Amino acid sequence: MSALADPVTATAISTGPETVSPTGLVPAPPEGTQATAAVDDAVEQARYTRWVVDAQGRELRESALQLSGMHCAACTGLIEQALYAVPGVQFAQVGGAAQRATVRWDPTLTQPSALIAAVRGAGYGAVPDAAAPARLARRTEHRQAVWRLFVASFCAMQIMMLAWPSYVTGPGELEADMRQLLNWGGWLLCLPVMVFAAAPFFSRAWHSLRARRIGMDVPVSVALLIAFVASTGATFDPQGIFGHEVYFDSVSMFVSFLLGARYLEMRARHNAAQALETSLACLPEVAMRVAADGTLHSVSVHALRPGDEVRVPVGQAFPADGVLLTGATQADEALLTGESAPVAKAAGSNLVGGSINLGAPVQMRVQRVGGDTRLQAIVSMMRSAMSQRPASAALADRWAGPFLWAVLLLAAGAAAVWSVIDPSKAVWVAVSVLIVTCPCALSIAAPSTLVAAARGLAGQGVMLQKLDALEVLARVQHIYFDKTGTLTETRVVLAGTGLAGTGLAGTGPTGTGLTAVGRAVLGDDAAALAQAASLAAWSSHPISVALAASATPAAQHWDDVQEHPGQGMQATDSQGRHWRLGAADFVGAAGASVDTDDSNAGVWLGCDGQRLAAFELADQPRPGAREAVQALRALGVRVSLLSGDTRERAGALAQVLGLDEVVAGATPEAKLAVVAAAQARGECVAMVGDGINDAPVLARADVSLAMGQGALVSRSSADAVVMSNRLGDIVRARARALRAMRIVRQNLFWAASYNAVCIPLALLGFMPPWAAGLGMATSSLLVMANALRAGR
Amino acid sequence: MESLYLLIPLSAALVLLILGIFGWAVFRGQFEDLEGEAERILDADCTQVDADQVAKTSGSKESGH
Repeated sequence: MSALADPVTATAISTGPETVSPTGLVPAPPEGTQATAAVDDAVEQARYTRWVVDAQGRELRESALQLSGMHCAACTGLIEQALYAVPGVQFAQVGGAAQRATVRWDPTLTQPSALIAAVRGAGYGAVPDAAAPARLARRTEHRQAVWRLFVASFCAMQIMMLAWPSYVTGPGELEADMRQLLNWGGWLLCLPVMVFAAAPFFSRAWHSLRARRIGMDVPVSVALLIAFVASTGATFDPQGIFGHEVYFDSVSMFVSFLLGARYLEMRARHNAAQALETSLACLPEVAMRVAADGTLHSVSVHALRPGDEVRVPVGQAFPADGVLLTGATQADEALLTGESAPVAKAAGSNLVGGSINLGAPVQMRVQRVGGDTRLQAIVSMMRSAMSQRPASAALADRWAGPFLWAVLLLAAGAAAVWSVIDPSKAVWVAVSVLIVTCPCALSIAAPSTLVAAARGLAGQGVMLQKLDALEVLARVQHIYFDKTGTLTETRVVLAGTGLAGTGLAGTGPTGTGLTAVGRAVLGDDAAALAQAASLAAWSSHPISVALAASATPAAQHWDDVQEHPGQGMQATDSQGRHWRLGAADFVGAAGASVDTDDSNAGVWLGCDGQRLAAFELADQPRPGAREAVQALRALGVRVSLLSGDTRERAGALAQVLGLDEVVAGATPEAKLAVVAAAQARGECVAMVGDGINDAPVLARADVSLAMGQGALVSRSSADAVVMSNRLGDIVRARARALRAMRIVRQNLFWAASYNAVCIPLALLGFMPPWAAGLGMATSSLLVMANALRAGR
Repeated sequence: MESLYLLIPLSAALVLLILGIFGWAVFRGQFEDLEGEAERILDADCTQVDADQVAKTSGSKESGH
């Protein structure tokens, strides 16, 4: 029992059994100097630190730390303060939801071990954020929380039984020595609650007081201490100054309610952190690399380089981004789109690292590895969104200090007034006021909702880079779309056919892109496209990729495939004919005249030196564009097109999609001016672009979304990225943003009205401490549960 | 009524004992995987926990051949 008296010893005991655990689990790193010194080792550092250069050209490092022991919004401020106190720290940000700290520091002045020591000095746990230690830290935290919750609630039940007689007996019915015995029992059982279960509140309150800040734990600790000291006095000296009333039952119940609410909060936090790690863990550890002589070698995925060829068995994840070389398969790309329906992949298709090969064993060529891959881009975006604190939470932090001082003064005032009216009630009125005003619910109302909504959106394939984007998205009145790559996608079509039926018919003469020889060899238009697509599938040139995606490749066997840079592809078919795909001169002499506009015909297909068919690049509305625009207009949003393209083409697209307004032929400056003018009219403007060419206008808009296209995602400057490339997801994102903001308002209203109703009740003495504790815990739980709805 | 002088201290001591046992169980991971242990018995390839199980599984394998 005495060993539990001090929280530090309690931690030592609790980690003890884990180190001798027969399950062979690696124990959490000891908090000694040895472990922290290893953290400074260059190789180890690289696992959680990246190099950055600041505006003055100084070389800095940015480290990620996994924190533990955080319970409320005020904690983030305390940790940041502790980090800033370390000399050499340029920037420190703590994210409450993911329990992560991002610290930018000067390597000439400090070391990561000093940062970790600083956080630990402030009373929190910190480990470098490589997944495994964080998971262990989480497990230990979870076990600690379960044990504390059990101690508090089990003791509360027992104490309630001991307190029962004094509630049901009339005055004088209970013998004095029997009452004394029951009080002693209550005191003994309340001791573990105070010194062990409630220890986190006391230690955090103490740390925040030492840092000259006031946290939410201060009033809680004061309330617990007052109630316990008064009851202890009453137990051992019933005739003394504390009177004869004991509150052991209220104290232990309050602690168990509070711990219960925080346990659920912790679970929600752990789930969020786990979701992140799961997506990070999508990549396999080893890959089967195909050497030049065709032999297979098992290598680490970190050893893969662009250009390597890799064999991927069924059921395994693709180890990097790349292109499918041979075979056809299906892939589960749920990590991009949130939909686990398999996507068919033919030779030449792009593969996403981390997606799972479902169909057949295939061979791929690696194009991008490591931090370049889409998976890494997604993970880092999710990270930054999860570890951010929205502006509303920062505002709440600023007001927390004055508010908590007011609470303490109010409680002191109530105690003073009641000691005149009815001295026997003074203590518990003060305790009730302190408990009931605990603004836990108020402080988690907005951040928990936004994080839940961001997680829900991520599951649908919309990644938020900034949590605040949700708030703005809900207010948006006017959405500007870029044209190419956003509302439309580039397709390769047979020259001259344009895009019949879409209203975007090409400018070339109608007719066909097939030459007379081509018609004889290939047959119809579709066959020409299929033949070209099957050859294009071997190349990763952007036009080839577009061509391969435009048609179902013909089941053609190619030998001796060669790619001539800048000219095109060459291959031999099973009948020994030489086929070429590419520039006109490369493909061969013109056959019979082709009735088409040569300037548009970028690509030719030819056989044995004769041109057979011409193809052109054309824009076509993205699938679902029309529905998405209509849905946005139905939601009361103006939808406009902001394009650098000609008036005719932009106008035609606007007519097809039913847009409100078209700005055509716009330079980047003109786009900026249009958005600025809309903002000057008082409109809240969203811009949807491809994320690269529109960087300035994306930055100017109140909220910006980018379509996720390949590797471009990682360089995007938008607030949110639509990974799935579906325009419909923008509509769903807005609907979810509206819902999330409605939930935030509900939460704030509930928390504020709860405080407004209960504070007067407590001041007037109508609310005993146990009811105050129950009310406070219930309102926190309600707010949490409501917030989780935003994620569904 | 005098028995209470014995029973109340006894129950308090029992509560403290239960708290200790529960803490030990939590930190030994007893509550981490509630279904897994029950299903392990159905898995022939699991690590054998005692000599009886070793004898049984090797015996059944022999009879199977």
